[in-house]
Amino acid sequence: MLEINNISAFYGNIQILWDVSLKVNEGEIVALIGGNGAGKTTLVRAITGLLPIASGSIKFLEKEIDKLPPHIITELGISHIPEGRKLFTEMSVHENLEMGAYSKPAWKKKHETLERVFKIFPRLKEREKQLARTLSGGEQQMVAMGRGLMSIPKLCIIDEPSNGLAPMVVMEVFKIVQELRDQGITILLIEQNVRHTLEISDRAYVLENGRVVMEGDCATCLASEHIKKAYLGL
Amino acid sequence: MEQFLNIFLGGLLIGGIYSLVSMGLSLQYGVAKVLNIAHGEFLMIGAFVTYWLQQSGVEPLLTVVIVGPTMFIIGFILYRTVFTSIRLRSAHPGIYESNSLLAAFGIYFIVMNIGILIWGTTPHSYTYLNQSISVGGALFTQNRIVAAAFAVVIGIAFYLFLTNTRTGKAIRAAAQDPATAGLMGVNIDFVLALCFGFGAAMAGVAGSLISICYSLSTAMGLGYTVIAIVVVTLGGLGSIPGSFIGGFILGVIGSAVSFWEPGLTVASYYVIFIVLLLVRPKGIMGR
Repeated sequence: MLEINNISAFYGNIQILWDVSLKVNEGEIVALIGGNGAGKTTLVRAITGLLPIASGSIKFLEKEIDKLPPHIITELGISHIPEGRKLFTEMSVHENLEMGAYSKPAWKKKHETLERVFKIFPRLKEREKQLARTLSGGEQQMVAMGRGLMSIPKLCIIDEPSNGLAPMVVMEVFKIVQELRDQGITILLIEQNVRHTLEISDRAYVLENGRVVMEGDCATCLASEHIKKAYLGL
Repeated sequence: MEQFLNIFLGGLLIGGIYSLVSMGLSLQYGVAKVLNIAHGEFLMIGAFVTYWLQQSGVEPLLTVVIVGPTMFIIGFILYRTVFTSIRLRSAHPGIYESNSLLAAFGIYFIVMNIGILIWGTTPHSYTYLNQSISVGGALFTQNRIVAAAFAVVIGIAFYLFLTNTRTGKAIRAAAQDPATAGLMGVNIDFVLALCFGFGAAMAGVAGSLISICYSLSTAMGLGYTVIAIVVVTLGGLGSIPGSFIGGFILGVIGSAVSFWEPGLTVASYYVIFIVLLLVRPKGIMGR
């Protein structure tokens, strides 16, 4: 579904991504893990069209997307649920969700999609009229995820959803990610919470200093000495 | 009582115009991040176009239908040509804001001098609906009431547009967080140009409304730009309702000060501005 081939990317003169390749097949949860500064966010910015790539190619559904502007990439079916939630805090929960359906094809179906999102997140229906900034951290993460679903995506890039949440809520968030996959949405999950991420994912890529240093199915990754030492503290 | 009504209602009437001008600047400065020093020049052009058309026999209130859309198109094109390219070339938002301020200064001089070339520097005026109406003993000319009513209706209509339509919501989202709005699929350059266009249209229409009750001159623009900057700060940067309410507050304060000492009216605006920046820089509706 998503095919990234040997891309490199720069911020000014500084090279951040070196020859990165990554593949996401339909129906998978693919984990992208790595520490701070590994280049995870840069990779996402390249996929969503916010950062031009210097070389290589990015294909989505067999179509080259690496020269398209962000709003076209959204319309093609890639939804990005950003790190830190990035809600429109002065707008209501309902309006935040509506903004997720901004692209023309999604806007036409926003009422049905909204019903579906409320089925996944019943709490949001109760909070529908409240301003987004009055919600708890967990609820805000739900709004962010719901908003990401409103564009009726084929691929959802979920960026650090557990960041800043209480452990109980983190479990809930991971459960929802699995639920989304069960509903047929393909997921690229970017996380620092490595153990839980590897437990729910199908395959994983490990990014270090802008290079993919390991890839494979999650069981293999969990068993690897390098992962145990560097990310699980064992 | 009569005097109080005179000051208070008179302040609200001029305040309605201030609201409209300031909502326009709020869109340009609060959302599109262009501190548009030339804002009042669009108002001046609007006022003179109405004057022009009135002289050739067109009903002044009808000219709003011509001035509004024309100013919108000019503003939209101006943003797409000048400010979009500044934005795309700026390494970060701070550079964009300072460079667009400089560009706006240039536009201010160009537009004002075009105005002087066409209409000269002498004040112009015409009479329209100038019978008085008594409100509790205080007298107001009909044209002031009509102008304020028009301004309020446009202000409320625009607010409803912002809260109820897809494009309106995109504007509000872009005002809060342009990057994330872009992530939602909002074409940011287009939305910011829309904001700039709407801002110019509001200035132009406010100019038309001003022309039906006050005399006009090609130098009138900057005074209104200053008022709009004060009101936008008072209302809270980027808050459209804040600018709407702020306009009335400044109108009433200005009206009270000018009753006491007309020469101090403009000075009082600067005092309010300075006190605001010291005490509550985010304004009444800002967060």
